[in-house]
Amino acid sequence: MRKIYIHPLPIRIWHWLNAFGIILLILTGLQIRYTGLFDVISFRNAVILHNWVGFLVGANFLLWLLFYLFSKRISVYQPELNSKKYFAAMFRQVYFYAYGILRGEANPYRVTPAAKFNPMQAMTYQIVMLLLLPMQFYTGVLLWDATGFAGQIDMLGGIRVISTIHVLLSIAFIGFLMSHLYLITLGHSFFAHSKGMVTGYEEVEDETKPKETTSFRVDRDSP
Amino acid sequence: MREISRVARNLGGKFAVRQTGPLESSMKNSSSIARRWQWLPALLVLLMSLPCTIAIAQDDEPEDVIALEDDDLACLKCHDDPSLETKLESGETLSLHISAKDFIGSMHNENSCADCHYEIDIDNHGQGQSTISSKRELGVSMGDSCRDCHKKKYREYDDSVHARLIAEGSTKAPMCADCHNPHTVTSWEIAEPAAAMPCGKCHEEIFKAAALDVHGLARGNKENPAPVCSGCHQAHGVKAASLGSGLKDTCLDCHDDAAEKHKLWLPNAERHFDTISCPVCHAPNANRRVNLRLFQGVGKDQQQLLEKTGVPQFVKRTEAADQQGEGLNDRELLKLLKQYTNDAEVKTVVRGRLEVSSGIDAHQLADKSEAISDCKICHQAGAEPFQSVILTVAGPDGRPIRHQVKKEVLNSAFSIDSVHGFYVLGSTRIKIFDYLLVLVVIGMTGGLVAHMIARWLFRRARERSAAKANQDSGSKN
Repeated sequence: MRKIYIHPLPIRIWHWLNAFGIILLILTGLQIRYTGLFDVISFRNAVILHNWVGFLVGANFLLWLLFYLFSKRISVYQPELNSKKYFAAMFRQVYFYAYGILRGEANPYRVTPAAKFNPMQAMTYQIVMLLLLPMQFYTGVLLWDATGFAGQIDMLGGIRVISTIHVLLSIAFIGFLMSHLYLITLGHSFFAHSKGMVTGYEEVEDETKPKETTSFRVDRDSP
Repeated sequence: MREISRVARNLGGKFAVRQTGPLESSMKNSSSIARRWQWLPALLVLLMSLPCTIAIAQDDEPEDVIALEDDDLACLKCHDDPSLETKLESGETLSLHISAKDFIGSMHNENSCADCHYEIDIDNHGQGQSTISSKRELGVSMGDSCRDCHKKKYREYDDSVHARLIAEGSTKAPMCADCHNPHTVTSWEIAEPAAAMPCGKCHEEIFKAAALDVHGLARGNKENPAPVCSGCHQAHGVKAASLGSGLKDTCLDCHDDAAEKHKLWLPNAERHFDTISCPVCHAPNANRRVNLRLFQGVGKDQQQLLEKTGVPQFVKRTEAADQQGEGLNDRELLKLLKQYTNDAEVKTVVRGRLEVSSGIDAHQLADKSEAISDCKICHQAGAEPFQSVILTVAGPDGRPIRHQVKKEVLNSAFSIDSVHGFYVLGSTRIKIFDYLLVLVVIGMTGGLVAHMIARWLFRRARERSAAKANQDSGSKN
């Protein structure tokens, strides 16, 4: 095993703030939607907390965006445009999690600083970070001041459309979070990946022989 | 012939009688403005002839003395008789009594009888059967007399729900004289406001409720007087309170810091102000409901749908759409809206508003310490205000026309389109998304647990492959 530095400090700060924020948003969101079913905190406090945390997560998103815009590490979010390569790599990754991992096969994807996401992660994070999270933030802001943004809300089809998008996305985030929490335990040890997000270093297997199943990411792996 | 003139103090209603000039038997139309200062010579005459005046209940010196024209005195000679009455064609008995004392104390004491009753043919007046068919007909015919002087008030009245009702053929909606007795009407400055309010004659239940609410109880407070009916509803331009934004702006006229104060504690305060009528929270014991109102157009041009005069579209369409007759369901409401949209070629939408169920409920305003501030009253499933839902258009007479809607409409996925302008966190949430959330959580948990079980089941295979890999690498070395 050797250690490689793949999570720089700003990203680790962003990640843990984001993780903490998203969990708080889910909990307060559930409290807002299901007041009466359970009352851990009051509806009003849940709304106020939800609004504040929402803006913090939004500001934190800017930290993430600025870091990547001004860092070479933006390469981790570069999409694979060759669809043949993309689907082949994706299939290998899905196969690994569905079956290979059970048989004790090695992860077909090899993490590098310039391409730390496996094809499944790359696709998911591109969608989550560039589409779902901004959409959730935008709809949240509209709902936060429904009178101030009445024009935009009407243009988009009314407050129920906005609220529906916000609720459906939050269900998606809950699903994402559950799978995320499970998948991070599938490293070479239970806490391997989460420890990596604290220290910045991931432990990867020594490359003693060229792997047949290496992903497309390896192709542009920087030395 | 006896010659009489009366001079009276305006406010006290006490009057003096003394002998003076000849009585003329004809009525003439004279300008009230010209007579405005007419009390002055009368006062001088009175003062000069004080010793020989026969004073009736006159203890102190008159300060503001009104003299009646001889013509008017001629009228009062007969009409000051409480027993004077006539039988109308309708069978009603019309009292013809005009109390001289009350008239002199009234706001109209500077007018002569003929100013209003100019149509009377004095030569034949009082001879034979009355030509007035009913009290109502008399009221209608006398309205024009009021209009001659009170032009501004009349313009307001013409736009009121009362005037519209009369235009629609109502025989009950009030005209001038139903609220203001022209022969006794007194100034607001001296009348006891609540007692002078005639609204209770028709709106009796509301009037009683209002007398007991926070405004009603504070009416006696001289320093900070609470409003009487007309303070909020406008006496002459009165509109149906449940249309438009209701009386919110009227509340804010006095409670001008209310909007700012609500912002201090109420998240999304402006939205609450837009969609909730004040009594919903400030009349905590009132019955509440959701009022879905039909609007046409988009953006700033959006207008509340008006029922067409003579073509009762709304009643016809809602009754046709409501197949079970138990209130519109989600699909029926959506269909109705599409029908309106297609017909008018303008997008017809529903905008919701939370309001109290009746005028009586709206007049149970409590002290602000009792107002609802617990969000849970509205923001949870099954909340009381959302158990009753109604669809409304503005009727041609200015009053709302309603049709019952099933409460489930608010929680239906169809409401994303039909009720798209009304959403209340918790209570109007779309039910199907609750199931979706449960499905995602269960599905995800199931999938992950299945994966864990599979990993546990394959543990032997993994151990074998690890052992083999070690063996391979060992033999290689």
